[in-house]
Amino acid sequence: MSTAHVETGPPAGGAGAQARPRRHHFAFGDPLFRWFTIVCAATVAAAMFVLIGVLVKNSWLAIHVLGIKPLTHVAYNPSTNQYGALSSLFGTFVTTILAMLIAVPLALAISLLLVELVHPVVSRILGTSIEMLAAVPSIIFGMWGIFVVAPLMANHVEPWVQSTPLGRLGIFSGAPVGLGILTAGVVLSLMILPFITAVSRDVLQMVPTVVKEAGYGMGSTTYEVMRKISMRYALSGIAGAVFLGLGRALGETMAVAYVIGGNFTALPHSLFANGTTVSATLALNFGESSSKLETSSLIELALILFVITMVFQVIAQLWLARARRMTGSRA
Amino acid sequence: MPPRSVGRRRLANRVVTAGAWTAGAIGVFVLGWIVTTVVVRGIGAWNVAFFTQLPPNGTDTGGGLANCIIGTLVITFGAAIVGLPLGFFGAIYLSEFGRAGRVATGIRAVTNIVLGVPSIIAGMFAYAILVLPSHHFSGFSASLALAFIMLPVMTRTAEDVLNLVPNELRESALAMGVPRWKATLGVVVKAARGGLITGAILAVVRVAGETAPLLFTALSSQYWMSGLFGNSGYFGGPTPNLTKEIFDLSGQPYPHLVQLAWGGALLIIVAVLGVNVLTRLLFQRGKEW
Amino acid sequence: MVDIMDMTDPGAPPAVSRPLPPRLEVTGARDAAADFDTLPSKLSVRNLDFFYGKQQALYANDLEIKEHRVTAIIGPSGCGKSTHLRCYNRIYELYRDQRATGEVVLDGQNILASGTDLLGLRRRVGMIFQKPSPFPMTVFDNIAYGLRMHFKLSKSELSERVEDALKRGALWEEVKNKLSEPGLALSGGQQQRLCIARAIAAEPELILMDEPCSAIDPVGTAKIEELVQELKSSYTIALVTHNMQQAARVSDYTAFFFEGRIVEFGATTQIFENPARKQTEEYITGRFG
Repeated sequence: MSTAHVETGPPAGGAGAQARPRRHHFAFGDPLFRWFTIVCAATVAAAMFVLIGVLVKNSWLAIHVLGIKPLTHVAYNPSTNQYGALSSLFGTFVTTILAMLIAVPLALAISLLLVELVHPVVSRILGTSIEMLAAVPSIIFGMWGIFVVAPLMANHVEPWVQSTPLGRLGIFSGAPVGLGILTAGVVLSLMILPFITAVSRDVLQMVPTVVKEAGYGMGSTTYEVMRKISMRYALSGIAGAVFLGLGRALGETMAVAYVIGGNFTALPHSLFANGTTVSATLALNFGESSSKLETSSLIELALILFVITMVFQVIAQLWLARARRMTGSRA
Repeated sequence: MPPRSVGRRRLANRVVTAGAWTAGAIGVFVLGWIVTTVVVRGIGAWNVAFFTQLPPNGTDTGGGLANCIIGTLVITFGAAIVGLPLGFFGAIYLSEFGRAGRVATGIRAVTNIVLGVPSIIAGMFAYAILVLPSHHFSGFSASLALAFIMLPVMTRTAEDVLNLVPNELRESALAMGVPRWKATLGVVVKAARGGLITGAILAVVRVAGETAPLLFTALSSQYWMSGLFGNSGYFGGPTPNLTKEIFDLSGQPYPHLVQLAWGGALLIIVAVLGVNVLTRLLFQRGKEW
Repeated sequence: MVDIMDMTDPGAPPAVSRPLPPRLEVTGARDAAADFDTLPSKLSVRNLDFFYGKQQALYANDLEIKEHRVTAIIGPSGCGKSTHLRCYNRIYELYRDQRATGEVVLDGQNILASGTDLLGLRRRVGMIFQKPSPFPMTVFDNIAYGLRMHFKLSKSELSERVEDALKRGALWEEVKNKLSEPGLALSGGQQQRLCIARAIAAEPELILMDEPCSAIDPVGTAKIEELVQELKSSYTIALVTHNMQQAARVSDYTAFFFEGRIVEFGATTQIFENPARKQTEEYITGRFG
């Protein structure tokens, strides 16, 4: 799309900013407009660079004083001079994996439902419900988590698991308090579920009808068409959706902070035990931060979280870009 | 050729189909469960006092979240006057001038990446830029954090909407000798008006429900916001707001305060879901977040 | 609207339930004309109606698809040709509001009856679509798709069958070194022949082709038309085409559709050289459609 302004008279060469004003047109209008919009668009990039700069600058103290100790020590307890990040990183890792294990199959199943199995009107209603779930703020998930899900886990689910043969496994040991890694993982999975579902659904909907009809025409069942044809077509897009969901899960704060139990000093020994995640550690400790070193160490944690989520974001964007290229669309 | 078992294939299909229906049911059930919980536990807190009074101290009963409601509105507004215009004009650049150029592609990539920054990091951003140097918390820093979140959301949504405007419209305007900027603002934007308004509303509402960015920027306060400056002002000190206050209240041992928290949660969910449903109905728009 | 029973030409019997008695005085009449009564029908259509929701699209269609012959279905766009063809493998059932009533009898069994084994039906009836639709897999996997799904074969048997199908589909020479390239990497005409080979691999009995050449260049089209002639010795073919000349070149029998009804059906030579209905003649000579 050319940016030439359609004025009478020969167009000025180059950017056009040197053109002599003609008639009553504000000849600088277009170049000015263009520059103005570029500047606005670039604020995002500027904000990101400022963020990186500011995070690095403020964690410098901690990096300088603590070295790599945070990455090798578990306990985070500034009052006893411990600044280990492993408890947080471990919790983030485990809750995220747990959440993905629950959310991804559910999301794919729901998108299959939405795209292939239900009446278009039902699909829209169901799809809207899932989107509503996405709009629920995380603090609500957190409150629901601690006041409804945690008691449920403590009084029913966890004791039940412990009464089955599974209960003998180490990962299901410990007092069934209801708060802890498992509850956090479950609540987290419900938070990222709508997101992954929506992106997967969009990508699956873009599989050309004729290819699906060709699959059905050869005598395939719905599941076979979905698995062997649609999913293959949409693979990059779905991978992108999964990575986006992963990124979300990594950084989610409020829902996790409510139910994870806030154990900063030791690694949880079971799914029922309390733990923490990077974002929960930040949320729960920042307010009480009393020393410069402590604040700096927390900002260092934030920097680590930022780097991890960014890596996954970039990977997700690469997958999604690939999906867009293959289907010629904007996912 | 020896045939494969059709029965097994059909069974697999049936199992997967049943699984898909179950998954859908779970999704709807969870939504219903959460909404019901919030309504049931929070409706009791809704009375006149809730909307007009300050939070109570400790064991007192009564009181409300009026200051927090106002505070959230002010903070969100502050974020919106920065985030929405920047996002809008940025989207215009990406859609009108930058369909393929390298600069635009780069900015688009960065926008998508910033979209994924956890909201607590956005809070860090504002903390480090404003709170640390000035040694005090403020509602303004919260607005900055929220603007950081709102900006890429608005940019992305607006760009999608603007891209939907058919090229013929642009070309017709330009062919009449209208300068580019007038064509864009007058014709294209007008054509995309519905989607842009929806996108803006949804971006604002999404940000209004955030908690993490406010944890160490605005904190919260038990008092009315005292104007713009001064110790309790928007720029001067901690600003009351719904989400952080709910977070604080819900951890208290007093049932009355917890119920107040649920009341606040109900207000948030009514506002957020209500606006979502309304804008979709009114403008028939697709999903944004 | 043409009323089928309208006896505008008192000399000609009604053109629907039974084809016209072949007028053998037409020079160059092919076997088709004489064979009609003796050749078995692979598929018989009786009183087929079709509905898109409340809207009726096909009215009382009667047709015979003869074994090992090519039957062409022609008519102006929107007259129901594709709709009719899609009843032969019930592919329309993917869409909720589409339904068919009447009988479609394949080898003595009415496939529209409930309880029909759809998966088995669709193996016996292959379909080629207007737009070439290779699956997002390698050439080899495309051909092997139906083989793997319906049959138990060893790896070497599979390779043999794939090669065989590609040879019968007149594509082997061109792709024998490209078997592990994606199917989508082939040219348009090659992709369509890939789809034909893919359909053949599963050993169908009847092959449906819905305007298979309309998205293909003339050279590719010629190759496909040649292939159709070769295939009819092993399979029965029903071909929908908007290109009359193609129908005249390629088919043994032709049915002329108009607004959901079969206006005339008979040997191709007769339809084109000596149509019984005025409407047919007008279409053939290009006066409408």
